[in-house]
Amino acid sequence: MIGGLQLHLSRRELNALAIVLFLAVAPHFFNLSIWIGLFFAATVALRLVLNRQKNPFPGRWLVFLLMLIGLVNLFIQYPIPLFRSAAVALLVSMLGLKLLEVRRRRDLYVAVFLGYFTLITQFLYRQDMLLAGYALLVVLALTAILVETSRHSPSRSLLSPLWQSFSLLGQAIPVMIILFLFFPRLSGPLWNLGLGEQSGVTGLSDKIRPGSISQLSQSKEVAFRAHFQDPIPPPQQRYWRGPVFWDSDGVEWDLGAELQPRALSLSIGEQQINYSVILEPTNQKWLFALDLPDRLPPRTRVTPEFELVRDDPITQRISYQISSRPVYNTGEIADDEWIRGLALPDNITPRMQQLVADWKKQSSNTAGIVDQALAYFRQQPFYYTLLPPLLGQNPADQFLFESRRGFCEHYATSFTLLMRIAGIPARVVTGYQGGEVNPMGDYLIVRQSDAHAWTEVWLEGQGWVRVDPTAAVAPERIERTFDFDLTGDTIGTPIDFNLQESDFIKSIARQLRWGADALNTGWHRWVLGYTHDRQSQLMQLLGMGFLKGRYLAIGMVVFTTLVMLGIGIYLWRNGQEKIDPIKAAYLRFCRKLARRGIVRQPAEGPRDFALRVNQARPDLQQQTDQITRLYIALRYGRVDAPEKRQKLQRLVRGFRV
Amino acid sequence: MDNALERLIEQAGTIILGKQPVIRLAITCLLARGHLLIEDVPGVGKTTLAHLLARLLGLDYKRIQFTSDLLPADIIGVSVYQREEGRFHFHPGPIFTQLLLADEINRATPKAQSALLEAMEEKQVTAEGETRKLPEPFFVIATQNPAHQIGTFPLPESQLDRFLMRISLGYPDARSERALLAGRDPRELLDEMEPCITPVQLQALQKQVDQVHVADALLDYCQMLLSFSRSNPRFNHGLSPRAGLALLRNAKAWALLDGRFQVLPEDVQAVLPATVSHRLHSSEDTAVDEGENLAHFLLSAVPIP
Repeated sequence: MIGGLQLHLSRRELNALAIVLFLAVAPHFFNLSIWIGLFFAATVALRLVLNRQKNPFPGRWLVFLLMLIGLVNLFIQYPIPLFRSAAVALLVSMLGLKLLEVRRRRDLYVAVFLGYFTLITQFLYRQDMLLAGYALLVVLALTAILVETSRHSPSRSLLSPLWQSFSLLGQAIPVMIILFLFFPRLSGPLWNLGLGEQSGVTGLSDKIRPGSISQLSQSKEVAFRAHFQDPIPPPQQRYWRGPVFWDSDGVEWDLGAELQPRALSLSIGEQQINYSVILEPTNQKWLFALDLPDRLPPRTRVTPEFELVRDDPITQRISYQISSRPVYNTGEIADDEWIRGLALPDNITPRMQQLVADWKKQSSNTAGIVDQALAYFRQQPFYYTLLPPLLGQNPADQFLFESRRGFCEHYATSFTLLMRIAGIPARVVTGYQGGEVNPMGDYLIVRQSDAHAWTEVWLEGQGWVRVDPTAAVAPERIERTFDFDLTGDTIGTPIDFNLQESDFIKSIARQLRWGADALNTGWHRWVLGYTHDRQSQLMQLLGMGFLKGRYLAIGMVVFTTLVMLGIGIYLWRNGQEKIDPIKAAYLRFCRKLARRGIVRQPAEGPRDFALRVNQARPDLQQQTDQITRLYIALRYGRVDAPEKRQKLQRLVRGFRV
Repeated sequence: MDNALERLIEQAGTIILGKQPVIRLAITCLLARGHLLIEDVPGVGKTTLAHLLARLLGLDYKRIQFTSDLLPADIIGVSVYQREEGRFHFHPGPIFTQLLLADEINRATPKAQSALLEAMEEKQVTAEGETRKLPEPFFVIATQNPAHQIGTFPLPESQLDRFLMRISLGYPDARSERALLAGRDPRELLDEMEPCITPVQLQALQKQVDQVHVADALLDYCQMLLSFSRSNPRFNHGLSPRAGLALLRNAKAWALLDGRFQVLPEDVQAVLPATVSHRLHSSEDTAVDEGENLAHFLLSAVPIP
């Protein structure tokens, strides 16, 4: 086959290779700098143009020049050749150059295997189902190229190599499934090579200032998905608890120092909601749960203010099982909570104090003051808007008395301050509210646009109670999912919740979106979500729980070796059965000589071989002739005597080179 | 008997110098009761070889020089009206002989060619409604010029198939040629030759060929060769079962000539190029006759089981 490797490629093969490699690289155009993509596209174009020329192979100098251009381009785009993207960019650039250099079949094989490898690197960026499907198609095409170029003469139809490639890949499916299920999973992310590269993850942060959540609300990105084992709670109960804010400097709100762990005097109701959450990466440590989280996922702790905090930041999609108690009473307040829940920034204005003083005059108890505050928001001309006007150094005052247009964080923060002025301990809770129920798959999709902030006040006898001032202003926000269209809105425009589902196309589009999301969620849950933990669960289920981590790897190697050995022995036995003992003895004789460098060619007859042996090793002539004569007589003659056969076997056994 | 054959080969070697393997192949073909086609450029000793074989085997020998105006009657014979007897009398043509040399067979028209080839296959001729048997043994040694020479009518494949073997002599090597130039005229030498075996002995030998043993392993090998030629894309079409029978027959004769009563793979390999090269065609459309190369490719590609 060495001759075959040296065969020059036809134009047809070169064209196919260029096109398929382009397809293999194509998704990287979105991942890499545009200039890397352009360079690769240029090499493909050059390849296709050259294929139309008389001599389709560019000269050495041209390739060298292009290589220099490619390298310069690479160093301009990725000066620090450290991270994932730099490595992938190098791979893509070099693949383009290889495409120009391809002449012979051997080069084509190299290029195709590089193509396979480049395809895998796509998964460093995205792991969704669409990409996986696309990658499978490209693998099909790449394999078809291998099939086609291994043929003696070109096939008439393109379908024939594709079909053969398809059936080859089909045969690989069982192996793929076994490897998927049993190949040891790393507990860390396999492809988290993006050290120092923070992809633009949107989500809640550890600070809020007016406008921070409304910015987030413009993102339709999915924050997490929740599958409920119990009925999905109504929208009013879907408060997904995240970070809790205590400290404010009058403009920004801060998490402050974490509360010390303590014994909680918590009492909870009977009702329990069980669900699992697939959380998208946030680069933060918080997990989200409905009020109040009860059972904890592993490697997570709960703070006294009922935040769920994971041991390390969530840099890849994770899934956790959790349960919540919607009816609860947090009981007594601790001293430090009391102090921090009443702390006020310096910029409290007299008119804020006046407002609270008026409420205090009208109500004797704390619950009454809360009601009055909510009534104030309801009755005064407050508007709920995604595009609040910019506020100055005292946003709370300005918002309460002047602009009166704001998003949930405006309401929550100013409400909290008002409560503190009134002497009621209060804190700001951020998280998500609501979510869209996907009827296909029956789960909840919570997007960044569902980000929300609300207030918790501590009331005697009730503990910490959730109060959502936004609900007073815009109850629709809480009761239905938040769908909006920002185009054409100016700053301060109130949100119009009046979205009738009259538009047939829109409803179809939504159905499709749901369907796609359901598929994708299944992919996340069953394919990408098949993690280290799930694997050990499966191994437990199969009664092989002892095979963990390193032992699973060793087990896999042992198992594979045994299977290969079994197949090998089977094939060897089957091959042996066809060979009669006479032939076997003769082959043994040949093997003994082969070890000394005298190798019988497959098409070499026994007499010819004996002649050759005698020339090379005259000292063995007597034995060689005897063995050959006996072999010929037994195999090709009429002789069929067991004693002669045994004699041959004896001679071969005694034969020493 | 072996002795006689050995002497035969040795004697032939004194006239046709340095061509032992070709002479052996020619004798093999005759032992296997097949007709022989010698293809080569003029002047390398084709006719001399045919002459020589006739002489050494002690056979009755005739020669027809094929030309473009040769008619079938010139080969088979013609009936002439005899006035004295008042009826037609058949004058047998040159074909009524034990060894016929058909010289430059591809110079004649297809009509004349087919008259000869029919006789070769059936060992009898039909003229004017009367069927006449040809003598026993009956051999044809035909010679032809390479097809690309001017003024030739190439034999169709079906007729080439009638020849058990096709061989070519080729130019002699330097030493043989020098000896040839230094020695006497081969024609004169030929006249002095004495037969080595009698026709009766020859027929006995031919019977012995049938008795040469063919083991299962060897049949497997032959079958693998045939099936490879049918499945490999380099061959336009594979070898026919008739080609397979010819191959085995030649291999048996070759083994006998070697003094053995069992066929070895080497025997098959020795006769294969001469047996199949005129029956093989390359799948690639080449002007050159690829038969010889294909035969060697076939041998190298099929392992001996």
